[in-house]
Amino acid sequence: MLLELNDVSLSLKRDGKYVKILDEISLQVNKGETVGIVGESGCGKSMTALSVMRLLPEKAKLEGVINLDHEDVTSYSKRKMEKIRGNKMAMIFQDPLTSLNPLHTVGRQIEETLILHTDLNKEQRKQRVIELLNEVGLPRAEEIASEYPHQLSGGMRQRIMIAVAMACNPSLLICDEPTTALDVTVQAQILDLMNHLKEVNEMGIIMITHDLGVVAEVCDRVVVMYAGKIVEQANVKELFLNPKHPYTKGLLESIPKLGVKKAKLGSIPGMVPSPDKMPQGCRFFDRCSSAMEICKGKTPPMSSVGEDHTAACWLYEEKGGEMNGSSGSEGLEATLHN
Amino acid sequence: MALLEVKDLKQHFTIKKGFLGEKKKVKAVDGVSFHIEQGETLGIVGESGCGKSSLGRTILKLIKPTSGDIFFGGKNITHLPRKEMKELRKDMQIVFQDPYASLNPRSTVRTILETPLIVHGAGNRQERMKVVEGLIDKIGIRKDQLDRYPHEFSGGQRQRIGIARALTLNPKLIIADEPVSALDVSVQSQVLNLMVDLQKEFNLSYMFISHDLSVVQHISDRVAVMYLGKIVEIADVDELYRNPLHPYTKALLTAVPLPDPTKKRDRIILQGDLPSPINPPTGCAFHTRCPAATPECKMETPELREKAMGHWASCIHVHPEQSTKTKIHIS
Repeated sequence: MLLELNDVSLSLKRDGKYVKILDEISLQVNKGETVGIVGESGCGKSMTALSVMRLLPEKAKLEGVINLDHEDVTSYSKRKMEKIRGNKMAMIFQDPLTSLNPLHTVGRQIEETLILHTDLNKEQRKQRVIELLNEVGLPRAEEIASEYPHQLSGGMRQRIMIAVAMACNPSLLICDEPTTALDVTVQAQILDLMNHLKEVNEMGIIMITHDLGVVAEVCDRVVVMYAGKIVEQANVKELFLNPKHPYTKGLLESIPKLGVKKAKLGSIPGMVPSPDKMPQGCRFFDRCSSAMEICKGKTPPMSSVGEDHTAACWLYEEKGGEMNGSSGSEGLEATLHN
Repeated sequence: MALLEVKDLKQHFTIKKGFLGEKKKVKAVDGVSFHIEQGETLGIVGESGCGKSSLGRTILKLIKPTSGDIFFGGKNITHLPRKEMKELRKDMQIVFQDPYASLNPRSTVRTILETPLIVHGAGNRQERMKVVEGLIDKIGIRKDQLDRYPHEFSGGQRQRIGIARALTLNPKLIIADEPVSALDVSVQSQVLNLMVDLQKEFNLSYMFISHDLSVVQHISDRVAVMYLGKIVEIADVDELYRNPLHPYTKALLTAVPLPDPTKKRDRIILQGDLPSPINPPTGCAFHTRCPAATPECKMETPELREKAMGHWASCIHVHPEQSTKTKIHIS
């Protein structure tokens, strides 16, 4: 196990009050595995990543355990975090233009990581920069090393970001919408590169995206988030072929698929609740087509719905139905037993 | 007769480059011809910088075309004086990409929807309100929400308001420029469904501009693929997706990640990025990235030719008789 999140919650201060953004997130990433985190905007995907990297705003309250290589990093001091950030774990952001410094050559920006985390001398560092640029598939590496971000195209900049992240051979790479700002043909190049790097370096990757196509293409396992909570987790095939949570089903039905022409797309009514007005019970309740009485008052626990497949929904939790004895869930239990 | 017909339309922007004031031209739209029938949806796809948005704006004459002709309802509108053009704009409207930027934050939804009617002097206040109330009912916004401001609505609702605004004057053609790109998938599907319903109800024609090939496939009857200011392929939607002829279309289609982990395809990965439209490559503009390029492609500018019934492509290596052999299968 490379990374393990155990009941991680995050609260941020908003208007003098703490608002819970993440609620008991638990997930694992193994070596050489790509875990996708999907969900609509505002569901907490990026905050989960930033919590792992501890790149949080001031006065953020982080609870729970984050184990990286079997060591709890939540207790690490700022300085100790700086040591592993960029070294053991690295992150790639969505917009490659704003995440690169416009005043420095890209070569220098890659070198910076090496200065911070390695004992290489100047000559060796220069060599490693060229090596990295070649690794991420940039032609004429020596010239590019002395160019500035604005001289490069979007796809090239994202390759630079990947080179920066790869500089110290991290064991965990977090990618936050790495291809969203790119055109499809360039996206295909970058996804290809990431798959290749994963195989070569045996990294664990967290892939945050809203694009279910990207998930299907590169991920081994998928975590679906809704309103700050994980609602479903499964391996990628299982999730796409046999989705359990109504939210996951709704998401999958609402995307038009290439090669399949449908008259009408599915959709999810309503919108994501805001974090300071989270509804009681299941947070998806008021948008859910199979909502029952119990969903309104009680938060559904994560339950196993298949091999390596969990979902947080009362539809799959028999105990909840018995305990509350609500009329809605009885019918569903009957269908479950069939 | 086609509702909209565009002939050899060009939109060249002059930009200054370098401190000597040396002038250069960006050929954003470079000789584009197509037509849209009443009640039809033409999808325009292409990567950023291919000129698809400039094309939309040029057709509405929000920017003056450099050359070429635009016919709307059989009438040449290219050089129409301002006043007549204003009258005609009732029939052709636009929906923008960003629902956050395209609605005035200081106006209520009521004002936003009423303004086009006032500008075109339609009816008295009572009649106008009747139109507005009829419209919001169709887009799923309640009457009591009419006096709210745009920031009180979600992205999807805002985009529906943008669509309603385009509909107030009962247009025949709507140019939708990336109308769902800023929306989450679940909301995106709501807006797409709404657009399809409205099209049926009002017999609207859409020119649907998007970079998302799956969305375009879903909504379009015919699709045009653009590359560096030119249409490289145009055909019926099923034909284009099942049997793409131009190497660029093929690459685009295989580059789209499919939301199905059980399907693996042979992907054509293009090298490099879109060249700058300031200095487009000679000959076929795609030859620098084309896996099938030959020396002739550098020399000869291919023309858009009909390679099969209703299926036009601009590639010198696609011959009419070949067109049935090069199928790719997605599903």
